[in-house]
Amino acid sequence: MTDANVVSIDSMTVRYGRNVAVDDVSLDVPRGTVYALLGRNGAGKSSLVRCLVGQQKPAHGRAILFGEDVWTRRAQLMERVGIVPEEADAPPEMTVHELSKFCGEIYSRWDHNAVRDRLSRFAIKPDARFGTLSKGQKKQVMLAMALAVSPELLVLDDPTLGLDVVARKSLFDEVISDLADRGTTTVITTHDLAGVEALADRVAILKDGRLVLDEPMEALKSRFRRIRFPYAAVALAAGNLRTASVTQWGGGTEAIVSNYDDVVFERFRSAANVTHADVSPMSLEEIFIAVAGEEVRS
Amino acid sequence: MFDINASDAAPIWQQIENGMRRMIALGALNPGDAVPSVRDLARTLRVNPNTVARAYQRLTDRGVFSVRRGDGTYVADQPVQPKKAERNEKLRDAAMQYAGVAISLGASEQDAIAELENSFGRMVKESRRKS
Repeated sequence: MTDANVVSIDSMTVRYGRNVAVDDVSLDVPRGTVYALLGRNGAGKSSLVRCLVGQQKPAHGRAILFGEDVWTRRAQLMERVGIVPEEADAPPEMTVHELSKFCGEIYSRWDHNAVRDRLSRFAIKPDARFGTLSKGQKKQVMLAMALAVSPELLVLDDPTLGLDVVARKSLFDEVISDLADRGTTTVITTHDLAGVEALADRVAILKDGRLVLDEPMEALKSRFRRIRFPYAAVALAAGNLRTASVTQWGGGTEAIVSNYDDVVFERFRSAANVTHADVSPMSLEEIFIAVAGEEVRS
Repeated sequence: MFDINASDAAPIWQQIENGMRRMIALGALNPGDAVPSVRDLARTLRVNPNTVARAYQRLTDRGVFSVRRGDGTYVADQPVQPKKAERNEKLRDAAMQYAGVAISLGASEQDAIAELENSFGRMVKESRRKS
């Protein structure tokens, strides 16, 4: 729990009755990192994020922000966090300007000018009532508000959900600018894997409440490969290739390998006596499906 | 500018580094030209600014870019070309990969070489058009 980590989740478990939503998860988010928290619906992302920002108390374990317990120091710590919630929510009859003024009275550091500049880049008029805005505009307002405190941590909970490509781009543009200007540590949950692929430094995948993967994006992408063989039977156990899945089709075999590197593969090739193989890299989406997508196997 | 393919086997910082070297080699960027700021390139390519910064740092360390303090990043006056041995090794690696694809598709050597010549011509023409 050094100062190098903005967030530490320490063996956290969240339960709803008998249902375990988050199952003994520990993770760290180092300062300056863009951390993508991925998982299918119901994997436990939202519960984890709610505990992370002090909106919920875990059954076991804790969330630590800037070295302090979130649950006991919530009011002080949230001054340093910007949140774009999954559902953009504010009183519908309030204008955007009134909203900014209202929030500015709650937070000790609130940059009204920054809010005004961002809203004008988003082409949102200050006198527009929140209730009349589109879904994309509401998210843009939320982002402008989240960044108004010059946060040390930005939490984006499915920020592009339901947004069209243009709104998505303008939101990402603003997040990228903030990263370039301030290097803000960012935690993002999303289903937009293509959008986050070039943005995240680190990826974590939750499955059924458990953390099944947590590592740098570059390492993840360099170890996963799809390999196609024109043979019905391949001695994949030869060498030390680890497979996430193996499928047979026609006279061929397709394997998704989770510990690929050139040396391991060459060793496997000679051990298994394989002359033909087509090795291709995988997108984050393909890796995600291989890791988190398999349906329940009985 | 060049495109980034997030699902390419090469890491994104390397694609940026190669893209910049390619633009210089093809004359789309000349010695003394200003290169886009990290912020702008990150927004254009929609990648993490740290990744762009890493590519720029490598290009600066290798003498391809030069940084004028408080005044941005430029293509160095005499950008250093990779050493011949290093270049040949890279060419050989890429050629092996291409030959592998051609063989697995059942293409003849002549067809493969013709396609390579075409691509070379297209690249050069495209860069002239852009610059």
